Amino acid sequence: MSAAAHAYLNTRVSVMSTRLLTPERANNLLGLELPELTERLELQAVIEDQLSAHAKVRALEQALIQTLLADVSVLIRPMNPAERALVLSWARRYALFNLKTLIRGKLYDLDPEAIRRDLYDLPPGLRLRRDELFRTENVLELLRVLEQGPFSLLARQAREVYEQKREPFALEAAIDQQYYSDLARQTMRFQGDSLQPLRRLIGALLDRVDLLWMLRFRFAYSFSPSETFYQLVPSPRLLHRERLLDLVNRENLRQLLDALPEPLATRMADAEDLIEVQRRVVAHQAEETRHILTQSASGVARALAYLMLREMDLMLLFALLQGGLLGLPRDVIKSAVDPHAFGAAANAATGSSPLAAAA
Amino acid sequence: MKHVRLMLMTEDLPRASLALAQTEQFHPDSRPPEEQALANLPGRDYRETFAQARSRLDKIARVVELNENPALENLRVIDHDELEALNQKLGALWEEASHFEESFRGIDEQERVLREQEAALANFANLQVDLGALKRKTRFLDFYIGLVPRVNVSRLEGSVALAGHLLLNYMQRDNHAHVIIIGPSGERENQLGSVLGSAGFQALPIPEGITDKAPEELEADFRTRHLSLEEQRAKLQQELADWRTAHRTPLLDAQRALLLAEPLVTLDPSIHGVKSLAVLCGWVPARALEALRDGLQHHLQLPFALEERNPTAKERPLVPTVPTHNRVLAPFSTLVKQYGVPQYGEIDPTPLFALTFLLMFGMMFGDVGHGAVIALAAYLARDKLKNFAAFGIAAGVSSMLFGFVFGSIFGVEHWLPALWMAPLEDPIVMLEVALVWGIVFIIAACSLGIYNRFAVGNLEGALLAPHGLVNLLFYLGFLAGGWNLATAGGFGLWPGLIVLGSLATLAVHQWRHLSGPTGEKILVVAIETLDTVIVYLSNTLSFLRVSAFSLNHAALAIAIFTLADMLGTFGTILTLILGNLFILVLEGGIVMIQVMRLQYYEGFSRYFSGDGHEFAPLRLRLGGTPGKS
Repeated sequence: MSAAAHAYLNTRVSVMSTRLLTPERANNLLGLELPELTERLELQAVIEDQLSAHAKVRALEQALIQTLLADVSVLIRPMNPAERALVLSWARRYALFNLKTLIRGKLYDLDPEAIRRDLYDLPPGLRLRRDELFRTENVLELLRVLEQGPFSLLARQAREVYEQKREPFALEAAIDQQYYSDLARQTMRFQGDSLQPLRRLIGALLDRVDLLWMLRFRFAYSFSPSETFYQLVPSPRLLHRERLLDLVNRENLRQLLDALPEPLATRMADAEDLIEVQRRVVAHQAEETRHILTQSASGVARALAYLMLREMDLMLLFALLQGGLLGLPRDVIKSAVDPHAFGAAANAATGSSPLAAAA
Repeated sequence: MKHVRLMLMTEDLPRASLALAQTEQFHPDSRPPEEQALANLPGRDYRETFAQARSRLDKIARVVELNENPALENLRVIDHDELEALNQKLGALWEEASHFEESFRGIDEQERVLREQEAALANFANLQVDLGALKRKTRFLDFYIGLVPRVNVSRLEGSVALAGHLLLNYMQRDNHAHVIIIGPSGERENQLGSVLGSAGFQALPIPEGITDKAPEELEADFRTRHLSLEEQRAKLQQELADWRTAHRTPLLDAQRALLLAEPLVTLDPSIHGVKSLAVLCGWVPARALEALRDGLQHHLQLPFALEERNPTAKERPLVPTVPTHNRVLAPFSTLVKQYGVPQYGEIDPTPLFALTFLLMFGMMFGDVGHGAVIALAAYLARDKLKNFAAFGIAAGVSSMLFGFVFGSIFGVEHWLPALWMAPLEDPIVMLEVALVWGIVFIIAACSLGIYNRFAVGNLEGALLAPHGLVNLLFYLGFLAGGWNLATAGGFGLWPGLIVLGSLATLAVHQWRHLSGPTGEKILVVAIETLDTVIVYLSNTLSFLRVSAFSLNHAALAIAIFTLADMLGTFGTILTLILGNLFILVLEGGIVMIQVMRLQYYEGFSRYFSGDGHEFAPLRLRLGGTPGKS
C-alpha cells in the first residue's frame, strides 16, 4: 500500500472509530427500555408491528450486520488486493453462517421458506450462489456446487469429512476450522509493517477461539486430546501449536486454565466455568484489538481492528435489543452482556451515525 | 404504444400468460400498483415450483445431455398442480440421474486411489521395505498407510503424536500426501479412528500376496483392476444410455411443459392482486391491441377486463421502444445501440446513421479497388460476420462509388476517368465540401434533437437545452456572420444581434439554474457561454477530417507508388501488395474510427438521448436449448 493510501485509510479508521462504544456509552444503553433504544438507534422501521418476534429479531440482526458490512465496503476501497482479501475473508463468516443455515436446512429437511427467511442478505463480494445452493437436493450436492466457487477448498474439505463421518457436527466443525485456518494463512503471508500487528490481531482472535473450543471439546463433548487438537487452529500469538499440544492433554478445566500462558493465566485465575472464561477471553481479545487500533501504524491492521470492535459493539446492541424483544428481565440482559468488554478509545467523541448518537 | 391493465381471476393467470406470450406484443410493466389493496403477489408459488423444476431438469441435462429441442405443437396451459406434479417427477428422475453421477465419481475416485497405490508401492520398492511385515498387524504395533489432503498433514501429525503415534509423510502428489502412521496398539488406538475420519484419511491397502509376487505379477494385478474399473465405467455408461432412452419421452415432455410455463414466471414480477383477483400491467403497440384482446378472449375461461390508455407525460421514459427489424439496417442498429436505445417518441436514428455513415466512409476512403476488396471480403466471411456482412458490403460499395467519383482504383488515378475530380487535384475545394457537409450535418442533427425533445414533451429542453433551438439560432447567426466576414469583411448587424441575443438567452437560462455564490455563478456562466462558441466552431472544423482523409488516401497511394518505382520488379510487386494491404487495414481502420467518432460526438450527442429501453415482449422460447434457462 502506498503512503498516501495508508494515510487515507488510517484517517478513515480514526474517523470511524469515534462511532465505537465506550464503557460509559454501553452502560448508558443498558439503562434504556426497548422503545427508547430502538428510537435512539433509528431502528423502529426495521421491526414492523405485524412481524413475529422471531422475524423482528432476524430483521434487527440483518440491519446490524448491514451496518457492519457497510463499514467493510468503505474501508476496503483504498486497500491493495491482499489487504482487501484478508478483510473480506474475515467478513466472509457471515456467508458461512448462511452456508450453515442451508446445510442445516438440507440435513433436517426444513421448510424452504423458513430457511430462506433465516439467510442473511449479503453484498455481492460475500454472497454465496444462494439460489443455486438453495435448489440442491441434499448436503453433498450442495457442497459439490460450492466447490465450483471461491469456497472450493473449504467445500472440498467439508465434503470429504462429511462423506467419511456423516456427522453434522463434523461438517460444521470442518467449515469453521477451514475458515480460521484460511484467515491465519492469509495473515502470515503479509510482509513489512503490517505483519506484526496483524499477527497480534488475528492471534488474539484465534487465542479466544482455541481456548473456548478446547474447553468445549475436551470437557463438554469429552473428545480425546487427539481429536480436540485436530479441530484447533494454531494461533500466531499465545496458543501456538506446541502450547496447544500441551494444553489439550490436561485433565480438567482448572488444570488447563492454570497451564495457560500469561496474560491469559492471570485473567483466568479464578474463573469457574465456561461462561466466565468466555467473558474474560472476549475482554482479552477486545483489549488486544483496541491496542492495535490505537497504537499500530498499519492501515489494514487498524481497519480490521476497528471492524472487530465494531462487530462486538453491534453484538452488544443486538443482545440488548433481542433481550428486549423476547421480554427478558433487565437484570438477565445485564448479566448477559459485559459493557466493560467493549469501548474503543477513551476519548471517543460523538459520531454522526445513529449508533454513535445513541450513546 | 398503449399502456394496458389486465384484470382477471388468479386461476386464469397461466392461460393469460400463454395468450400474451403467443401474441408476442406484451411488454410487462413491473412497477408496483398504485392501489395498496393490490399488494399481494399471486404468482409466487408458481415461480418457486417452476424454478425448482427447471433447476432439476438442468441438472439432469448435465448428466444425460438432452440435445433435442422439443417442438411446441400444442399450446396448452400448465397449471400449478401439473407443474407441481412435474416438479415431483423431475425430483425422482434427478435422484436416479444423480446416482449415475455419483457412481461415475466413485469410479474416478477408485481410479485415483489405484494410481496412488501404484505410486506408493513403487516408492516402497525404492525404499526396500518389507511390505509383508507391514501388512501383518501385530499385537503391539498399530499402523495405517494412506492418503490425507496436504493441508491437513501438519495438524494430523500433532494429533497422532498425542495418541502416541508417529506420522511419516513420505510422498506428496497433487493435493494429497502419502503418510504412514505407526504407534503402539492399545487404548489410544481408538482415539485415532475419529481423528483420521476428520482429517479425510483414505487408506491405501497393501495388495494380497505382496511379498510372494514378482513385480510383473503385481503390474498385471493393477492392470486387471484398471480394466475392471473401465468395464464398470462402460457398463454404467450403457445403463445411463438405456436410462436416457427409457426416459426420453418424459424428459422431452418436461422440457415442453417448462417452456409453456415460462411466460407466467417471466410475468411474475408484474403480477399483483388481491384475493382471487390478479392485475397485470404492460405496454402494447397500438396496432396489436385488438389481436391481444382476441387472444385473451379465446384463451381465458373466466371474465376479464382489459383497460388501455395512452402513456402519460411522466411515463414516457418508461415506455419501451420497438427496435428496427430491417435486415439491411440490423448491423447499423447494433452500432446505434452501443450508444443507447431511442426513447419512446424519438426518431429512430438508425436510417440516418446508416446513410451518413456510408457517405462519410465512402468519401474518406473512396477507391474502386479497395472498396471491392472490402465488399468481397465481407461477402466471403458472411458466415462468420453474420449480420455485419451486410455492413461490410455496404461500406465497400460506398467506397467503390466514391472511387468512381474520384477516379481512383487501388490508388491509381489514371486508369479510370473521374466522374468529378481526384481529391489532390484541388484540395481547397475538397475542404470546402467537407465544411459544407459538416454544417449541414450539424444543422440536421440539432433540428432532429429539437424535434425529439418536442416529441417527448420536453419543451424547455427543445428551446434552451444544449443543442436546442436557441443554440441552433446562435449557430445560424454565427455561420451568417462568418460568411459575411469572409465575403464582405464585416460580421454584419443581424448576425451579430442573433449571436449576442441567443448567447444572452442561454446565459440567463443557466444563471437561473445555478446555485452558489454570485462570483461562482458569473464564472460558470461566462465559461459555459464561451464554451458554446468554441464547441460549435470546433465541431464544424472537425468535419474537415472527411476531406483530410480522402486527401490522405491519395497521398498514401502516391507514397507507395513512389517507393515501388525505386525498387526492382520483385520489390515493386511486394511493395504494391504490402502497401495496399497497409492502406486497407490501417487506413481503413482509422477511417472507420473517425466516422464513428463523428457520428457519436457530433451527431448522437445532439439529437439522440439514448436512454430509452427496448421493447422486449413476452414470448415462448420455441426450440430453446435444453438445459439452459
